[in-house]
Amino acid sequence: MAKTQKDLKKIKSDLLNYIEPNIYNCYQCGKCTAGCPMADTFEYKPNQIIRLIMLDKIDKILDSNSIYLCISCDICTSRCPQKVSISAIMNFIRNESWKIGEFKIKNISRFYNLFLRILGKFGRSYEPGLIMGLNVLSGKFFNDADIAVKIMGKMKIRMLPEIIKGRKSVAKVIKKYL
Amino acid sequence: MEEKENKNSKKIAYYPGCSLKSTAMDFNVSIEKVLDLLEIEYEEIPDWNCCGTTPASNISDELVATLAARNLLLAAKMGLKDILCPCISCYNKLHKASYYINNNKGELKNSREEKKRDSIFKALKEMGFDTEKNFNIKVYSIIEFLNLQKELIGKKYKELESKRDKNSRSCSILDSLKPVCYYGCAMLRPEGVPKFDDIENPTSMEEILKMVDIKCEDFQFKTECCGAILSLTNKDEVLRLSGEILDSAAMESGANSMIVFCQLCQQNLDLRQTQINKYNKTHFHMPIIFITQILGMALGLSPEEVMLNKLFVSPAVIGKKN
Repeated sequence: MAKTQKDLKKIKSDLLNYIEPNIYNCYQCGKCTAGCPMADTFEYKPNQIIRLIMLDKIDKILDSNSIYLCISCDICTSRCPQKVSISAIMNFIRNESWKIGEFKIKNISRFYNLFLRILGKFGRSYEPGLIMGLNVLSGKFFNDADIAVKIMGKMKIRMLPEIIKGRKSVAKVIKKYL
Repeated sequence: MEEKENKNSKKIAYYPGCSLKSTAMDFNVSIEKVLDLLEIEYEEIPDWNCCGTTPASNISDELVATLAARNLLLAAKMGLKDILCPCISCYNKLHKASYYINNNKGELKNSREEKKRDSIFKALKEMGFDTEKNFNIKVYSIIEFLNLQKELIGKKYKELESKRDKNSRSCSILDSLKPVCYYGCAMLRPEGVPKFDDIENPTSMEEILKMVDIKCEDFQFKTECCGAILSLTNKDEVLRLSGEILDSAAMESGANSMIVFCQLCQQNLDLRQTQINKYNKTHFHMPIIFITQILGMALGLSPEEVMLNKLFVSPAVIGKKN
Protein backbone atom coordinates (compact mmCIF):
# COMPACT_ATOMS: atom_id res chain seq x y z
CA MET A 1 0.00 0.00 0.00
CA ALA A 2 1.29 3.34 -0.96
CA LYS A 3 -0.59 5.34 1.60
CA THR A 4 1.23 6.24 4.80
CA GLN A 5 0.02 7.58 8.13
CA LYS A 6 1.50 10.91 7.08
CA ASP A 7 -0.60 10.95 3.89
CA LEU A 8 -3.75 10.21 5.85
CA LYS A 9 -3.06 12.89 8.45
CA LYS A 10 -2.42 15.45 5.74
CA ILE A 11 -5.63 14.56 3.92
CA LYS A 12 -7.60 15.13 7.11
CA SER A 13 -5.89 18.40 8.06
CA ASP A 14 -6.22 19.82 4.51
CA LEU A 15 -9.84 18.74 4.48
CA LEU A 16 -10.58 20.59 7.72
CA ASN A 17 -8.51 23.64 6.83
CA TYR A 18 -9.54 24.20 3.25
CA ILE A 19 -12.47 22.09 2.10
CA GLU A 20 -14.96 21.87 4.95
CA PRO A 21 -14.04 23.38 8.32
CA ASN A 22 -17.60 22.71 9.54
CA ILE A 23 -17.59 18.95 9.14
CA TYR A 24 -18.23 18.51 12.89
CA ASN A 25 -21.61 20.21 12.43
CA CYS A 26 -22.86 16.90 11.00
CA TYR A 27 -25.36 15.32 13.41
CA GLN A 28 -25.87 12.14 11.38
CA CYS A 29 -29.45 12.78 10.30
CA GLY A 30 -28.83 10.68 7.18
CA LYS A 31 -30.59 13.01 4.75
CA CYS A 32 -27.60 12.84 2.37
CA THR A 33 -27.82 9.06 2.26
CA ALA A 34 -31.60 9.09 1.85
CA GLY A 35 -31.27 11.15 -1.34
CA CYS A 36 -28.10 9.56 -2.73
CA PRO A 37 -28.86 7.64 -5.95
CA MET A 38 -25.79 5.45 -5.46
CA ALA A 39 -26.11 4.73 -1.71
CA ASP A 40 -27.31 1.16 -2.34
CA THR A 41 -24.04 0.29 -4.04
CA PHE A 42 -21.75 2.20 -1.66
CA GLU A 43 -19.81 0.17 0.90
CA TYR A 44 -19.98 3.24 3.15
CA LYS A 45 -22.97 5.60 2.80
CA PRO A 46 -22.40 9.37 2.59
CA ASN A 47 -23.21 9.95 6.28
CA GLN A 48 -20.85 7.11 7.23
CA ILE A 49 -18.08 8.74 5.19
CA ILE A 50 -18.43 11.89 7.27
CA ARG A 51 -18.33 9.82 10.47
CA LEU A 52 -15.24 7.92 9.30
CA ILE A 53 -13.42 11.21 8.70
CA MET A 54 -14.26 12.33 12.24
CA LEU A 55 -12.92 9.03 13.57
CA ASP A 56 -9.62 9.40 11.64
CA LYS A 57 -10.41 6.38 9.47
CA ILE A 58 -9.72 7.88 6.04
CA ASP A 59 -7.89 4.67 5.04
CA LYS A 60 -11.23 2.84 5.19
CA ILE A 61 -12.72 5.41 2.82
CA LEU A 62 -9.84 5.01 0.37
CA ASP A 63 -10.26 1.22 0.43
CA SER A 64 -14.02 1.25 -0.15
CA ASN A 65 -15.87 1.84 -3.41
CA SER A 66 -17.91 4.88 -2.34
CA ILE A 67 -15.80 7.84 -3.44
CA TYR A 68 -15.07 6.21 -6.81
CA LEU A 69 -18.69 5.40 -7.63
CA CYS A 70 -20.01 8.81 -6.51
CA ILE A 71 -21.45 10.60 -9.58
CA SER A 72 -21.13 14.09 -8.05
CA CYS A 73 -24.84 14.77 -8.48
CA ASP A 74 -24.65 17.02 -5.39
CA ILE A 75 -27.97 15.91 -3.88
CA CYS A 76 -26.18 15.32 -0.55
CA THR A 77 -24.72 18.83 -0.32
CA SER A 78 -27.83 20.62 -1.54
CA ARG A 79 -30.05 18.88 1.03
CA CYS A 80 -27.76 18.94 4.08
CA PRO A 81 -29.52 20.84 6.90
CA GLN A 82 -26.12 21.63 8.43
CA LYS A 83 -24.66 22.84 5.12
CA VAL A 84 -21.80 20.34 5.11
CA SER A 85 -20.27 20.17 1.60
CA ILE A 86 -20.36 16.38 1.37
CA SER A 87 -19.88 16.29 -2.38
CA ALA A 88 -16.79 18.53 -2.19
CA ILE A 89 -15.38 16.30 0.57
CA MET A 90 -15.90 13.19 -1.59
CA ASN A 91 -14.20 14.88 -4.55
CA PHE A 92 -11.29 16.06 -2.43
CA ILE A 93 -10.57 12.56 -1.10
CA ARG A 94 -10.94 11.18 -4.64
CA ASN A 95 -8.38 13.73 -5.92
CA GLU A 96 -5.99 12.89 -3.07
CA SER A 97 -6.44 9.19 -3.75
CA TRP A 98 -5.34 9.70 -7.37
CA LYS A 99 -2.36 11.71 -6.17
CA ILE A 100 -1.05 8.96 -3.89
CA GLY A 101 -1.87 6.18 -6.36
CA GLU A 102 -4.67 4.62 -4.33
CA PHE A 103 -7.46 4.80 -6.91
CA LYS A 104 -9.25 1.56 -6.09
CA ILE A 105 -11.59 0.69 -8.95
CA LYS A 106 -9.47 -0.36 -11.88
CA ASN A 107 -11.96 0.00 -14.72
CA ILE A 108 -12.65 3.59 -13.65
CA SER A 109 -8.99 4.61 -13.33
CA ARG A 110 -8.34 2.95 -16.71
CA PHE A 111 -11.13 5.02 -18.24
CA TYR A 112 -9.79 8.28 -16.75
CA ASN A 113 -6.28 7.49 -17.93
CA LEU A 114 -7.39 6.73 -21.47
CA PHE A 115 -9.60 9.82 -21.54
CA LEU A 116 -6.72 12.09 -20.55
CA ARG A 117 -4.35 10.47 -23.03
CA ILE A 118 -6.80 11.09 -25.87
CA LEU A 119 -7.24 14.66 -24.67
CA GLY A 120 -3.49 15.20 -24.65
CA LYS A 121 -3.25 13.90 -28.20
CA PHE A 122 -6.07 15.85 -29.86
CA GLY A 123 -7.06 18.57 -27.38
CA ARG A 124 -10.61 17.28 -27.56
CA SER A 125 -12.38 14.08 -26.65
CA TYR A 126 -12.69 11.38 -29.31
CA GLU A 127 -15.54 9.02 -28.62
CA PRO A 128 -14.84 6.14 -31.06
CA GLY A 129 -11.27 5.86 -29.75
CA LEU A 130 -12.42 6.06 -26.16
CA ILE A 131 -15.11 3.39 -26.47
CA MET A 132 -13.01 0.98 -28.53
CA GLY A 133 -10.01 1.56 -26.27
CA LEU A 134 -12.08 0.75 -23.18
CA ASN A 135 -13.39 -2.46 -24.71
CA VAL A 136 -9.89 -3.59 -25.63
CA LEU A 137 -8.44 -2.72 -22.20
CA SER A 138 -11.25 -4.44 -20.33
CA GLY A 139 -11.25 -7.47 -22.64
CA LYS A 140 -15.00 -7.08 -23.21
CA PHE A 141 -14.78 -6.60 -26.95
CA PHE A 142 -18.50 -6.67 -27.62
CA ASN A 143 -19.64 -4.47 -24.76
CA ASP A 144 -22.26 -2.05 -26.09
CA ALA A 145 -22.05 -3.55 -29.58
CA ASP A 146 -25.82 -3.04 -29.87
CA ILE A 147 -25.30 0.67 -29.20
CA ALA A 148 -22.47 0.93 -31.69
CA VAL A 149 -24.73 -0.52 -34.39
CA LYS A 150 -27.43 2.03 -33.55
CA ILE A 151 -25.03 4.97 -33.62
CA MET A 152 -23.53 3.89 -36.93
CA GLY A 153 -27.00 3.38 -38.41
CA LYS A 154 -27.75 7.05 -37.84
CA MET A 155 -24.16 8.23 -38.28
CA LYS A 156 -24.58 10.09 -35.02
CA ILE A 157 -20.90 10.29 -34.18
CA ARG A 158 -17.80 12.01 -35.51
CA MET A 159 -15.61 9.28 -36.94
CA LEU A 160 -12.38 11.27 -37.21
CA PRO A 161 -10.97 13.19 -34.24
CA GLU A 162 -11.02 16.98 -34.20
CA ILE A 163 -7.48 18.13 -33.62
CA ILE A 164 -6.87 21.59 -32.18
CA LYS A 165 -3.87 23.86 -32.62
CA GLY A 166 -3.43 24.27 -28.88
CA ARG A 167 -3.12 20.53 -28.26
CA LYS A 168 0.48 20.84 -27.09
CA SER A 169 -0.47 23.26 -24.31
CA VAL A 170 -3.30 20.92 -23.32
CA ALA A 171 -0.92 17.95 -23.28
CA LYS A 172 1.51 19.86 -21.09
CA VAL A 173 -1.18 20.56 -18.48
CA ILE A 174 -2.29 16.93 -18.46
CA LYS A 175 1.17 15.36 -18.35
CA LYS A 176 1.65 16.05 -14.65
CA TYR A 177 -1.32 13.89 -13.74
CA LEU A 178 -0.69 10.76 -15.76
CA MET B 1 -2.21 38.68 -30.31
CA GLU B 2 -4.42 41.72 -30.53
CA GLU B 3 -7.67 41.90 -28.77
CA LYS B 4 -10.72 42.86 -30.71
CA GLU B 5 -12.89 45.64 -29.33
CA ASN B 6 -16.40 44.38 -29.67
CA LYS B 7 -18.92 46.99 -30.69
CA ASN B 8 -21.93 44.79 -30.31
CA SER B 9 -22.01 44.04 -26.61
CA LYS B 10 -24.82 41.54 -27.11
CA LYS B 11 -22.73 39.09 -29.09
CA ILE B 12 -21.98 35.89 -27.22
CA ALA B 13 -19.15 33.39 -27.40
CA TYR B 14 -20.34 29.85 -28.05
CA TYR B 15 -18.64 26.85 -26.44
CA PRO B 16 -20.31 23.68 -27.76
CA GLY B 17 -18.07 21.07 -26.12
CA CYS B 18 -16.98 17.72 -27.54
CA SER B 19 -20.28 15.82 -27.33
CA LEU B 20 -22.22 18.44 -29.25
CA LYS B 21 -19.80 18.05 -32.12
CA SER B 22 -20.31 14.31 -32.18
CA THR B 23 -22.97 12.18 -30.46
CA ALA B 24 -25.18 15.19 -29.68
CA MET B 25 -25.00 16.88 -33.08
CA ASP B 26 -28.80 17.25 -33.05
CA PHE B 27 -28.54 19.39 -29.90
CA ASN B 28 -25.84 21.58 -31.45
CA VAL B 29 -27.72 22.09 -34.71
CA SER B 30 -30.99 22.90 -32.98
CA ILE B 31 -29.29 25.42 -30.67
CA GLU B 32 -27.64 27.21 -33.58
CA LYS B 33 -30.93 27.30 -35.49
CA VAL B 34 -32.83 28.68 -32.49
CA LEU B 35 -30.17 31.36 -31.89
CA ASP B 36 -30.50 32.34 -35.57
CA LEU B 37 -34.28 32.52 -35.31
CA LEU B 38 -34.01 34.72 -32.22
CA GLU B 39 -31.45 36.85 -34.08
CA ILE B 40 -28.87 36.41 -31.34
CA GLU B 41 -25.36 36.97 -32.60
CA TYR B 42 -22.88 34.29 -31.55
CA GLU B 43 -19.46 33.02 -32.50
CA GLU B 44 -17.88 29.69 -31.68
CA ILE B 45 -14.71 30.09 -29.62
CA PRO B 46 -11.88 29.28 -32.05
CA ASP B 47 -9.63 26.34 -31.16
CA TRP B 48 -11.49 25.56 -27.94
CA ASN B 49 -10.33 22.50 -26.00
CA CYS B 50 -12.17 19.83 -24.02
CA CYS B 51 -13.00 21.03 -20.49
CA GLY B 52 -11.74 17.73 -19.06
CA THR B 53 -15.20 16.84 -17.71
CA THR B 54 -15.68 14.15 -15.04
CA PRO B 55 -12.37 12.27 -15.50
CA ALA B 56 -10.25 15.42 -15.08
CA SER B 57 -12.41 16.69 -12.26
CA ASN B 58 -12.22 13.40 -10.36
CA ILE B 59 -8.44 13.32 -10.77
CA SER B 60 -7.68 16.90 -9.79
CA ASP B 61 -9.75 20.05 -9.39
CA GLU B 62 -6.73 22.09 -10.42
CA LEU B 63 -6.35 20.13 -13.66
CA VAL B 64 -9.99 20.61 -14.66
CA ALA B 65 -9.95 24.31 -13.79
CA THR B 66 -6.81 24.87 -15.89
CA LEU B 67 -8.25 23.03 -18.89
CA ALA B 68 -11.52 24.94 -18.66
CA ALA B 69 -9.80 28.29 -18.06
CA ARG B 70 -8.02 28.16 -21.43
CA ASN B 71 -11.43 28.44 -23.11
CA LEU B 72 -12.41 31.43 -20.98
CA LEU B 73 -9.27 33.29 -21.99
CA LEU B 74 -9.83 32.41 -25.65
CA ALA B 75 -13.27 34.05 -25.33
CA ALA B 76 -11.71 37.08 -23.64
CA LYS B 77 -9.31 37.32 -26.57
CA MET B 78 -12.32 37.56 -28.89
CA GLY B 79 -13.38 40.60 -26.88
CA LEU B 80 -16.43 38.78 -25.53
CA LYS B 81 -17.38 38.22 -21.93
CA ASP B 82 -20.59 36.20 -22.13
CA ILE B 83 -20.19 32.52 -22.94
CA LEU B 84 -23.07 30.22 -23.79
CA CYS B 85 -22.18 26.67 -22.80
CA PRO B 86 -25.03 24.24 -23.50
CA CYS B 87 -23.35 21.07 -22.23
CA ILE B 88 -24.12 21.11 -18.52
CA SER B 89 -20.95 19.24 -17.57
CA CYS B 90 -18.76 21.72 -19.48
CA TYR B 91 -20.85 24.52 -17.99
CA ASN B 92 -19.98 23.47 -14.47
CA LYS B 93 -16.27 23.20 -15.27
CA LEU B 94 -16.18 26.55 -17.08
CA HIS B 95 -18.18 28.20 -14.34
CA LYS B 96 -15.81 26.88 -11.70
CA ALA B 97 -12.83 28.13 -13.71
CA SER B 98 -14.41 31.59 -13.94
CA TYR B 99 -14.12 31.83 -10.14
CA TYR B 100 -10.33 31.69 -10.41
CA ILE B 101 -10.18 33.90 -13.51
CA ASN B 102 -12.55 36.67 -12.41
CA ASN B 103 -11.23 37.10 -8.87
CA ASN B 104 -7.99 38.91 -8.22
CA LYS B 105 -5.13 37.74 -6.09
CA GLY B 106 -6.11 37.79 -2.43
CA GLU B 107 -9.84 37.64 -3.11
CA LEU B 108 -10.24 33.87 -2.93
CA LYS B 109 -11.64 31.75 -0.09
CA ASN B 110 -8.36 30.49 1.42
CA SER B 111 -4.66 29.96 0.82
CA ARG B 112 -5.18 26.62 -0.97
CA GLU B 113 -7.48 28.30 -3.48
CA GLU B 114 -4.97 31.14 -3.90
CA LYS B 115 -2.25 28.62 -4.65
CA LYS B 116 -4.49 26.96 -7.19
CA ARG B 117 -5.23 30.32 -8.81
CA ASP B 118 -1.50 31.02 -9.05
CA SER B 119 -0.72 27.75 -10.77
CA ILE B 120 -3.68 28.08 -13.18
CA PHE B 121 -2.45 31.54 -14.18
CA LYS B 122 1.09 30.26 -14.52
CA ALA B 123 -0.08 27.54 -16.92
CA LEU B 124 -2.15 30.04 -18.90
CA LYS B 125 0.79 32.41 -19.16
CA GLU B 126 2.95 29.59 -20.52
CA MET B 127 0.27 29.04 -23.16
CA GLY B 128 0.84 32.63 -24.27
CA PHE B 129 -2.17 34.36 -22.74
CA ASP B 130 -2.12 37.87 -21.32
CA THR B 131 -2.94 37.18 -17.68
CA GLU B 132 -2.21 40.61 -16.28
CA LYS B 133 -5.59 42.21 -16.86
CA ASN B 134 -8.92 41.97 -15.05
CA PHE B 135 -11.39 39.46 -16.37
CA ASN B 136 -15.13 39.57 -16.03
CA ILE B 137 -16.44 36.47 -17.73
CA LYS B 138 -19.93 35.11 -17.31
CA VAL B 139 -20.84 31.58 -18.36
CA TYR B 140 -24.46 30.72 -19.11
CA SER B 141 -26.08 27.31 -19.18
CA ILE B 142 -28.65 26.81 -21.93
CA ILE B 143 -31.71 27.00 -19.65
CA GLU B 144 -30.46 30.07 -17.80
CA PHE B 145 -29.86 31.68 -21.19
CA LEU B 146 -33.21 30.70 -22.75
CA ASN B 147 -34.94 31.80 -19.57
CA LEU B 148 -33.55 35.30 -20.13
CA GLN B 149 -34.80 35.20 -23.74
CA LYS B 150 -38.28 34.05 -22.74
CA GLU B 151 -40.08 37.23 -23.79
CA LEU B 152 -38.27 37.23 -27.12
CA ILE B 153 -39.26 33.60 -27.72
CA GLY B 154 -42.88 34.47 -26.93
CA LYS B 155 -42.78 37.46 -29.27
CA LYS B 156 -41.34 35.46 -32.18
CA TYR B 157 -43.91 32.73 -31.63
CA LYS B 158 -46.81 35.21 -31.65
CA GLU B 159 -45.54 36.80 -34.85
CA LEU B 160 -45.53 33.40 -36.48
CA GLU B 161 -48.94 32.49 -35.06
CA SER B 162 -50.61 35.57 -36.52
CA LYS B 163 -49.38 34.68 -39.99
CA ARG B 164 -50.72 31.16 -40.26
CA ASP B 165 -54.09 29.36 -40.25
CA LYS B 166 -55.76 28.66 -36.97
CA ASN B 167 -55.59 25.14 -35.51
CA SER B 168 -52.58 24.00 -37.45
CA ARG B 169 -49.07 24.03 -36.24
CA SER B 170 -46.29 23.84 -38.70
CA CYS B 171 -45.33 20.56 -37.13
CA SER B 172 -47.93 17.99 -36.04
CA ILE B 173 -45.62 16.24 -33.58
CA LEU B 174 -45.96 19.19 -31.21
CA ASP B 175 -49.73 18.72 -30.95
CA SER B 176 -49.48 15.13 -29.85
CA LEU B 177 -46.83 15.73 -27.19
CA LYS B 178 -47.69 15.09 -23.58
CA PRO B 179 -44.25 15.80 -22.17
CA VAL B 180 -42.48 16.02 -18.85
CA CYS B 181 -39.42 18.23 -18.38
CA TYR B 182 -36.38 16.47 -17.00
CA TYR B 183 -33.61 18.63 -15.50
CA GLY B 184 -31.13 16.10 -14.12
CA CYS B 185 -28.63 17.01 -11.43
CA ALA B 186 -26.27 19.62 -12.67
CA MET B 187 -28.25 22.76 -13.51
CA LEU B 188 -28.62 24.25 -10.04
CA ARG B 189 -27.20 21.87 -7.45
CA PRO B 190 -23.43 22.29 -7.82
CA GLU B 191 -21.96 24.69 -5.30
CA GLY B 192 -21.46 28.23 -6.53
CA VAL B 193 -23.65 28.14 -9.66
CA PRO B 194 -26.39 30.80 -9.89
CA LYS B 195 -29.60 29.57 -8.28
CA PHE B 196 -32.01 31.14 -10.78
CA ASP B 197 -34.70 28.58 -10.07
CA ASP B 198 -35.88 26.29 -7.27
CA ILE B 199 -33.31 23.54 -6.67
CA GLU B 200 -35.75 20.74 -5.80
CA ASN B 201 -38.60 21.72 -8.09
CA PRO B 202 -37.35 23.87 -10.95
CA THR B 203 -39.94 25.19 -13.41
CA SER B 204 -37.94 27.32 -15.85
CA MET B 205 -38.18 24.77 -18.69
CA GLU B 206 -41.95 24.60 -18.28
CA GLU B 207 -42.12 28.39 -18.32
CA ILE B 208 -40.02 28.65 -21.47
CA LEU B 209 -42.21 26.05 -23.19
CA LYS B 210 -45.37 27.85 -22.06
CA MET B 211 -44.24 30.70 -24.33
CA VAL B 212 -44.79 28.42 -27.34
CA ASP B 213 -48.03 26.89 -26.02
CA ILE B 214 -46.60 23.59 -24.86
CA LYS B 215 -48.05 22.29 -21.65
CA CYS B 216 -46.01 19.90 -19.53
CA GLU B 217 -47.04 17.29 -17.00
CA ASP B 218 -45.88 17.42 -13.42
CA PHE B 219 -42.93 15.12 -12.79
CA GLN B 220 -41.54 13.81 -9.52
CA PHE B 221 -38.17 12.70 -10.89
CA LYS B 222 -37.23 16.00 -12.56
CA THR B 223 -33.97 16.40 -10.69
CA GLU B 224 -33.00 12.78 -10.05
CA CYS B 225 -29.69 11.58 -11.49
CA CYS B 226 -29.62 9.36 -14.60
CA GLY B 227 -26.25 7.78 -13.66
CA ALA B 228 -24.29 10.07 -15.96
CA ILE B 229 -20.84 8.92 -17.08
CA LEU B 230 -21.05 5.61 -15.17
CA SER B 231 -22.59 4.31 -18.42
CA LEU B 232 -19.05 3.62 -19.61
CA THR B 233 -17.81 1.80 -16.52
CA ASN B 234 -20.76 0.66 -14.37
CA LYS B 235 -23.58 0.37 -16.88
CA ASP B 236 -26.06 -1.52 -14.68
CA GLU B 237 -26.29 1.45 -12.32
CA VAL B 238 -27.24 3.73 -15.19
CA LEU B 239 -29.84 1.26 -16.47
CA ARG B 240 -31.36 1.09 -12.98
CA LEU B 241 -31.43 4.86 -12.33
CA SER B 242 -32.55 5.81 -15.83
CA GLY B 243 -35.20 3.09 -15.65
CA GLU B 244 -36.68 4.71 -12.54
CA ILE B 245 -36.85 8.05 -14.34
CA LEU B 246 -38.67 6.59 -17.36
CA ASP B 247 -40.99 4.67 -15.05
CA SER B 248 -42.00 7.77 -13.11
CA ALA B 249 -42.51 9.80 -16.30
CA ALA B 250 -44.69 7.19 -17.97
CA MET B 251 -46.54 5.60 -15.06
CA GLU B 252 -46.94 8.48 -12.59
CA SER B 253 -47.08 11.47 -14.90
CA GLY B 254 -48.67 9.70 -17.86
CA ALA B 255 -46.26 11.40 -20.23
CA ASN B 256 -45.53 10.22 -23.77
CA SER B 257 -42.28 12.14 -24.17
CA MET B 258 -39.53 13.81 -22.20
CA ILE B 259 -37.88 17.16 -22.82
CA VAL B 260 -34.25 17.53 -21.74
CA PHE B 261 -31.26 19.86 -22.10
CA CYS B 262 -28.36 17.62 -21.08
CA GLN B 263 -26.88 15.47 -23.82
CA LEU B 264 -25.60 12.88 -21.37
CA CYS B 265 -29.05 12.39 -19.82
CA GLN B 266 -30.45 12.33 -23.35
CA GLN B 267 -27.94 9.70 -24.44
CA ASN B 268 -28.54 7.49 -21.41
CA LEU B 269 -32.33 7.69 -21.76
CA ASP B 270 -32.63 7.61 -25.56
CA LEU B 271 -29.75 5.58 -26.98
CA ARG B 272 -29.85 3.13 -24.08
CA GLN B 273 -33.64 2.86 -23.81
CA THR B 274 -33.63 -0.64 -25.32
CA GLN B 275 -30.97 -1.68 -22.78
CA ILE B 276 -32.98 -0.03 -19.98
CA ASN B 277 -36.13 -1.89 -21.01
CA LYS B 278 -34.28 -5.18 -21.17
CA TYR B 279 -32.59 -4.68 -17.79
CA ASN B 280 -35.76 -3.62 -15.96
CA LYS B 281 -38.14 -5.85 -17.99
CA THR B 282 -40.19 -2.86 -19.16
CA HIS B 283 -41.56 -1.77 -22.55
CA PHE B 284 -41.28 1.99 -22.58
CA HIS B 285 -41.30 3.95 -25.81
CA MET B 286 -40.47 7.43 -24.63
CA PRO B 287 -38.86 9.87 -27.08
CA ILE B 288 -36.27 12.06 -25.31
CA ILE B 289 -36.22 15.40 -27.10
CA PHE B 290 -33.93 18.40 -26.65
CA ILE B 291 -35.70 21.60 -25.61
CA THR B 292 -34.11 23.47 -28.52
CA GLN B 293 -35.53 20.93 -30.99
CA ILE B 294 -39.00 21.64 -29.57
CA LEU B 295 -38.47 25.41 -29.62
CA GLY B 296 -37.12 25.27 -33.16
CA MET B 297 -40.18 23.38 -34.41
CA ALA B 298 -42.54 25.68 -32.52
CA LEU B 299 -40.83 28.63 -34.17
CA GLY B 300 -41.44 27.23 -37.62
CA LEU B 301 -38.60 24.84 -38.38
CA SER B 302 -39.24 21.40 -39.81
CA PRO B 303 -38.37 18.22 -37.83
CA GLU B 304 -35.55 17.59 -40.32
CA GLU B 305 -34.05 21.03 -39.73
CA VAL B 306 -33.75 20.34 -35.99
CA MET B 307 -32.48 16.80 -36.72
CA LEU B 308 -35.37 15.05 -35.01
CA ASN B 309 -34.55 12.00 -37.14
CA LYS B 310 -31.35 11.54 -35.11
CA LEU B 311 -33.32 10.45 -32.02
CA PHE B 312 -33.15 6.71 -31.45
CA VAL B 313 -36.61 6.47 -29.90
CA SER B 314 -38.67 8.01 -32.66
CA PRO B 315 -41.26 10.66 -31.80
CA ALA B 316 -43.09 9.86 -35.05
CA VAL B 317 -44.99 7.05 -33.30
CA ILE B 318 -46.72 9.37 -30.82
CA GLY B 319 -47.65 11.62 -33.73
CA LYS B 320 -49.50 8.73 -35.35
CA LYS B 321 -51.29 7.52 -32.25
CA ASN B 322 -53.21 10.74 -31.83
